[in-house]
Amino acid sequence: MSTTTPLPPDLPPGDEPRRPRRRRRRPPRSVLRMASFTAFALVLFGVLIARLWFLQVIGGGDYQERAEANRLRTVVTEAPRGAITDRTGAPLVTSREVLNLVAEPQQLEGPEGVAALRRLSVALGHPPGYFSAKVKKAQEARPFEAVVLEEETTPELQAYVEERRSQLPGISLQAAYVRDYPQGSLAAHLLGYVGPIPAEKAKEYEGRGYLGNETVGRAGIEAEYEQYLRGIAGREQVEVDARGEVVGRGVLSQAPPRPGETLRLSIDMKTQKALEAALRAEVQGSGTSTGAAGVALDPRTGAVLALASYPTFNPDVFQSGSAREVRRVLTSPSRPLLDRAIGGEYPAASTFKAITAAAALETGLYKPGETIDSPGSVVLYKTRFQGFNNQAHGVITLPEALEVSSDTFFYELADRTYRTQGWPMQDWSRRFGFGRPTGLDLTEGESAGLVPDLAYKRQTCDRKVDPINCSWRPGDSVNMSIGQGNVLVTPIQMATAYAALANGGTIVTPTLGRAVVDADGRVLRDLVSARALRPLGLSKDNLEIIQSGLRRAANGNGGTATPVFGALPERFRVAGKTGTAENTSGIDHAWWVGYAPVDDPKIVVAIVVERGGQGANSAAPAACAAIGAYLGFGADRCGTGAKAN
Amino acid sequence: MATFPGEAPRGSARDRAQSAVAGLDWWLLGSVLAASAFGVYVVRVATEGDIASDPGFFFTRQVAYTLIGLVALFFVLRLDLEWLSRYVWTLYAVLIASVGIVLVLGSSARGSTRWIELGPLRVQPSEIGKLVIAFVIAVVVVERIKSMDSARLSLVVAGVTAIPAGIVFLQPDLGTSLVYAAIALGILWVAGQPITHFIVVGLVVVTLAAAVLYLLPAAGVNVLKPYQVDRLTAFVDSGSDRSETGYQLEQSKVAIGSGGAFGKGPSGATQTINDFLPEHHTDFIFAVVAEMFGFLGAGLLIALYFVIIWRALVIMRSAATELERLTAAGISAMLAFEVFVNIGMNVGIMPITGIPLPFMSYGGSHTLTNLAAAGVLLRIGRRGRAAAPVVA
Repeated sequence: MSTTTPLPPDLPPGDEPRRPRRRRRRPPRSVLRMASFTAFALVLFGVLIARLWFLQVIGGGDYQERAEANRLRTVVTEAPRGAITDRTGAPLVTSREVLNLVAEPQQLEGPEGVAALRRLSVALGHPPGYFSAKVKKAQEARPFEAVVLEEETTPELQAYVEERRSQLPGISLQAAYVRDYPQGSLAAHLLGYVGPIPAEKAKEYEGRGYLGNETVGRAGIEAEYEQYLRGIAGREQVEVDARGEVVGRGVLSQAPPRPGETLRLSIDMKTQKALEAALRAEVQGSGTSTGAAGVALDPRTGAVLALASYPTFNPDVFQSGSAREVRRVLTSPSRPLLDRAIGGEYPAASTFKAITAAAALETGLYKPGETIDSPGSVVLYKTRFQGFNNQAHGVITLPEALEVSSDTFFYELADRTYRTQGWPMQDWSRRFGFGRPTGLDLTEGESAGLVPDLAYKRQTCDRKVDPINCSWRPGDSVNMSIGQGNVLVTPIQMATAYAALANGGTIVTPTLGRAVVDADGRVLRDLVSARALRPLGLSKDNLEIIQSGLRRAANGNGGTATPVFGALPERFRVAGKTGTAENTSGIDHAWWVGYAPVDDPKIVVAIVVERGGQGANSAAPAACAAIGAYLGFGADRCGTGAKAN
Repeated sequence: MATFPGEAPRGSARDRAQSAVAGLDWWLLGSVLAASAFGVYVVRVATEGDIASDPGFFFTRQVAYTLIGLVALFFVLRLDLEWLSRYVWTLYAVLIASVGIVLVLGSSARGSTRWIELGPLRVQPSEIGKLVIAFVIAVVVVERIKSMDSARLSLVVAGVTAIPAGIVFLQPDLGTSLVYAAIALGILWVAGQPITHFIVVGLVVVTLAAAVLYLLPAAGVNVLKPYQVDRLTAFVDSGSDRSETGYQLEQSKVAIGSGGAFGKGPSGATQTINDFLPEHHTDFIFAVVAEMFGFLGAGLLIALYFVIIWRALVIMRSAATELERLTAAGISAMLAFEVFVNIGMNVGIMPITGIPLPFMSYGGSHTLTNLAAAGVLLRIGRRGRAAAPVVA
């Protein structure tokens, strides 16, 4: 730079000298400019380093997870849920393979994916944003997982998707399983139904190894034996590239799908069908009935042969029904979802007389062979208690009283228990299993019933209006002796109690699940043998007295159910008790409980027909049909009901 | 090969080789060669899976580009800028003509084109134009700085810059046109133009950005294409941006972040090799380095770039003539701007403007240009050193 004038010697170097305007641009100033240039570059590069530190060192872990989420894709292969069969292996519920329309959200990012979802929404008759919204919602709950757009696709839709493969990136058809009900609504209440995991239980299921998007048992056997029935989906982790194609080492880890086990129930399909048909016929034929329920047990083991409740529902509704259909089932005033056989509480009525009889015999309040006058009504403590229809039965023994179902005979026994120390009727009720669930393997939905006692009276009475009702009164004993008053029982409790009378005095635990079996029918797990048995503590002599009364009630000249069962041959001889339960509805519930064959009981049946009238008319014929189906005689050999109590 | 005035007379081949490299700034040459070699390596490992039939496609081409660029570098070492300044307006006219041709061809080919096809080669004139514009501005300033009022000079430079930059912007290539502006600003700064000019430029830029991005679109006038607006604004909040650009930036951040302190290595960099990171051999090559070699590797790369910029500035200070000093200023500004904007866009603090990373990104024209630019700097440095052997 030859044009530069040397600095005046009196100025220190670097200081800007004052000089004429045209000489302003001098090296010292440009040195400053060059230095600031360097400083500026240093600052900019420092900013880059700082940002890099922030991204890599501080945020590194987070970004590593996201890189992994990009790279890894989990391919879930659904496993079918196990089948449920009857005792012979005949299927009641199976799994059926269907094709679902599924979207891989990572492949749907960007405008192409949005366009694909939009096209598909419109093609399937939804609003354009329908599937996008669905994917977005599912992504919030479970990021990076495939989203089911449409379940159980039709062949038309499958063809549509297959033909447009290239235009629908990230959309595919994937195999899934749904429940199939080859017997329709048969045994709907005990089988229950399946559905998605409810949101409020998501945590609980997660703890048991669920992914969260499974279909699980929501009621009945489906829920109770979920642990065996559930199929465990296979999971395969693969490495993919940005286009979603598997790259590199391919499969990184693999867990093959494990189908659910088959559950064999103790249900006998013939008996179940006969019972359901009979209940339906009774309810529909009565004109007044609102429902009915029945239980059939093997009295020796507690194996449930049939368990039915009417009205019923189709479990398929919960899987593929519309929201309206589901709501109709849930809110119908006839309460089709209520399993009346285990959850319905009814006054026991005369069927309870066998329990009163056991209490009186065992406490010695009634001596075997003793006769008691049984008029149409009796006066006790200045109160007149009427028998059924004010019918007088004369001077009779206990078996005769059971045969004709005398009320006043049991009023006398009730008075004796009232006068004695202790609470024999309550004690024996509880021994027979009343007042608490039986332990049936349908833990949800079983009711406890009610054995009234002093504590109950004190709890429920109104001290201001009716203080005297806060004590146990003679009328309470009188009502209880014939299964009225506050006594409430469920059909399954009644069947279990009578099973003890039939099997010689053992309270069994009713059981639906019989075994878990593999695909070849080999038993993997026996579900019956571990079930509890409890001795009733009823002496053999006393038991025989009650048994003879029950046999007479179904076969004797004055037997209440003789018109129904009396014509059966000896090998099918039935013993059992009718009941006609007064209740607040104004029309009596009809009961029948009993067992057959009397010499070697193989089946015990309890039937209740709500507002069905007299037990012999309504309940006994249904019981006879069920017994016939199991023992092998036609319902035509059963008579129709006649006089009864 | 032509002999330029001021060159040493021809000697033996060995003498010529010695004289070709004698007195060069070894820091700068070494750093540029290191960055270029590393760039070739990263292009190779990042693109091996991109074209299944030819895993070396990008690698072999980038090797060729780099070799051509090195030839250009050593050619430029012999180029006398004082001599060249005689033809400055010819150069300027060729620049405008070539970017103009691209613009016309591009608009007829529907969409964006930045290249001229010359047989098998695709030349991007706007890239080589960066060097031309740096030189033209330097000449303009040197010739007028003493005779012209400073405000008028700034306006003249603005005009000289705006014509080619405007054409490049219309191609559309926003990034390169911004590089032109950065070069002009760098030269004017070092030339000592008043600070008020830069403040005015700053205000104009802010106002323009606000107008182009927000005010005019609100009034229904769209200066930028939608994808350009996306790119410019995506870095503000890429997570919520569902566009292609937002995805790109997000993937770049995931790639860089997942590299952590020490990186995932060339075979473990799944963001790159599984193709989640788009443009991993061009605009986003820095993210590849950060993913493969972590904070350590990426930090060292930034340090390497700082060495290059630092030596460019040292060379600028010691330049023998004002023309060389301002040319060096323009090149320094170009390199610093490109490095900062490219890495800044990789890490998500700068808009996505499509500026490649000097010496690293795949591409012929910019590799050639940047290596030639390094040659210019090396020559200026050698002459400066010869004129004043004691360098502060």
